Amino acid sequence: MSNPFRLPMAPRAIRNLFSKPATRRYPYEIRPRFDGARGTIKFDVDTCNYCTLCAKRCPAAAITVSREDRTWAIEHLTCIGCNVCVEVCAKKSLAMSTEAKHVHTHAEVGPQGQRPGHEEWHGADPAIAAAAAKAAAELSIDAPSS
Amino acid sequence: MKRTIVPFGPQHPVLAEPLVLDLVLEDEKVIDAIPTIGYIHRGLEAMVDRVEYTEMGFVVERICGICSFMHGMGYCLALESIMSVEVPDRARWLRIIWAEISRIQSHLLWLGLGADAFGFENLFMHCWRMREEILDIFEKTTGGRIIHSVNRIGGVKRDISDSELIAIVARLDGLGKAFEATARVFANDPSIRHRMSGVGVLSMADARAVDAVGPMARASGVRMDTRLAGQNLYDQIEFEPVLETAGDCLARVVVRMREVRQSIDLIHQMVDKMPKGEGLPLENKPRGNPSGETFTRLEQPRGEVVYYVKANGTKYLERFRARTPTFANIPAMIKLVKGCDLADVPNIILTIDPCISCTER
Amino acid sequence: MDRQGFLARVGEYHTNGWRLAIINATTVPPVDAAEPGIFEISWGFAKDLEFETIREQVTTADEVPSVSDFFGAAFLYENEMRELFGLNVTGIGLDLGGQLYKTSVKIPFSHAAVKARLAATAAATAAASGKKA
Repeated sequence: MSNPFRLPMAPRAIRNLFSKPATRRYPYEIRPRFDGARGTIKFDVDTCNYCTLCAKRCPAAAITVSREDRTWAIEHLTCIGCNVCVEVCAKKSLAMSTEAKHVHTHAEVGPQGQRPGHEEWHGADPAIAAAAAKAAAELSIDAPSS
Repeated sequence: MKRTIVPFGPQHPVLAEPLVLDLVLEDEKVIDAIPTIGYIHRGLEAMVDRVEYTEMGFVVERICGICSFMHGMGYCLALESIMSVEVPDRARWLRIIWAEISRIQSHLLWLGLGADAFGFENLFMHCWRMREEILDIFEKTTGGRIIHSVNRIGGVKRDISDSELIAIVARLDGLGKAFEATARVFANDPSIRHRMSGVGVLSMADARAVDAVGPMARASGVRMDTRLAGQNLYDQIEFEPVLETAGDCLARVVVRMREVRQSIDLIHQMVDKMPKGEGLPLENKPRGNPSGETFTRLEQPRGEVVYYVKANGTKYLERFRARTPTFANIPAMIKLVKGCDLADVPNIILTIDPCISCTER
Repeated sequence: MDRQGFLARVGEYHTNGWRLAIINATTVPPVDAAEPGIFEISWGFAKDLEFETIREQVTTADEVPSVSDFFGAAFLYENEMRELFGLNVTGIGLDLGGQLYKTSVKIPFSHAAVKARLAATAAATAAASGKKA
């Protein structure tokens, strides 16, 4: 062959015969995610003071917070993973984990109107929590030592 | 002669997105082409009256999945010029480094799609394998493969450490070497030459007459690149746009291949020039609400994009408009399709690198 | 608007080698469906690194002359202005006859449509705050 470039793919093809595939056997072999990859939002119910700033700043309106009921809820399927809530949280109750979002099937949605991806936390009422702590303290004092 | 009208699209093997051309044919020759878009019109521009300007950045980023970084950056630049926010130096350099990386990503994606369109599926896979490395760099540095969400009005949210930057440059060098092997195929393979050479020639005069932008114009020899304006620190590095003169489909492929190499070189220069150190400021928070208007121009992988932002002092913008490169290149595409053979239509449409999501917003 | 003067200015840009970068329309508030609303149109021209605009205020009753004769790319912007803003652009080079976009709301940037959108947003906000309280 006079023109050496008549088969320009040939070197590549020969190399491919002796090299590993570029792809992964996906469901059996999952690529680890990089540190700092944005995945799912993790919430720490113990430190949150229900200031509702995360709910106000969320561009997708995925977060609902109620100060009165002390509840914090997120729709993971609405969340766009922009990290804004984590940035604005003064109490550092929110964290972005690298864990990939859970995939929901049609069966999970169901006919009864379940909300896949909905996650909700109920914080303890401060008055009840204080009373419980007091009761526990009294209990430990009153408890017979023997 | 009897005329036939052949609808091209919205579902067609070469098109990843719905574009319709009603092709008026005489025998095999295309006489006229009438475009219809609008299948994926999402009305993102109309969202400004219910989405606050701080949140609009995330919407703009989602105009398109390929130039998502550049869209986010362009929106922030426009708002920064209205609110006269000074962006810290390191943040500005980081932005253009990411922008050039996303240019490489976009061109590799397109080269793969182009190869797929003329039936060279093997080459398509090689291009996309290389693109995967770029996406890894993105995931590592910004946290997202496609939607990066690192741009905020006033700066960027994440830093890349100096050692990481050196590693990225080394990785891009390795990628550049691997790319040469693929580039040789694009430049020399006889089947590609048969398919692309001399097809869809846009002369320099025509490119000016239909206001083509980006690689489309540069393949016809028009020296047009918004980066030449020297905004965004491009005046501090050596930059000369890639020009080809043939103006055919092959020239448009070659321009994009050379731009991949050029971008790797630009990233080298940027990493050398940028201020080094840990913990440098990355963000200056804007104060109050924006008031005023601006036109911001930016060079995306596909060409020049123009953003128009009008703010009235409330937290809702009055008007946001993005004139994306494909919108400007559609007249050029129609010009090229007229008079060509029906079999060449897919190639010609693909070589303008159409992004219908961008066009319709 | 002054048709002759406008076309003369556009022609001047064309002969001096400028390129059409954008034609952009904006709905000018206040939005009141009762009156014919005002729209602002900017024709943006670029030459190398410079960028200049011609700006006109029009209503839906006015006739906006097309600049397709000078700039081949103008037809897309002009079709868009007509479909999204309801402006009466005459003499478009390639008239797509309202087939460019497929929108759920006809003329989504007309004063009436913007007003309706603003009202819907206000109602949704009121409902949301009512629910909370």
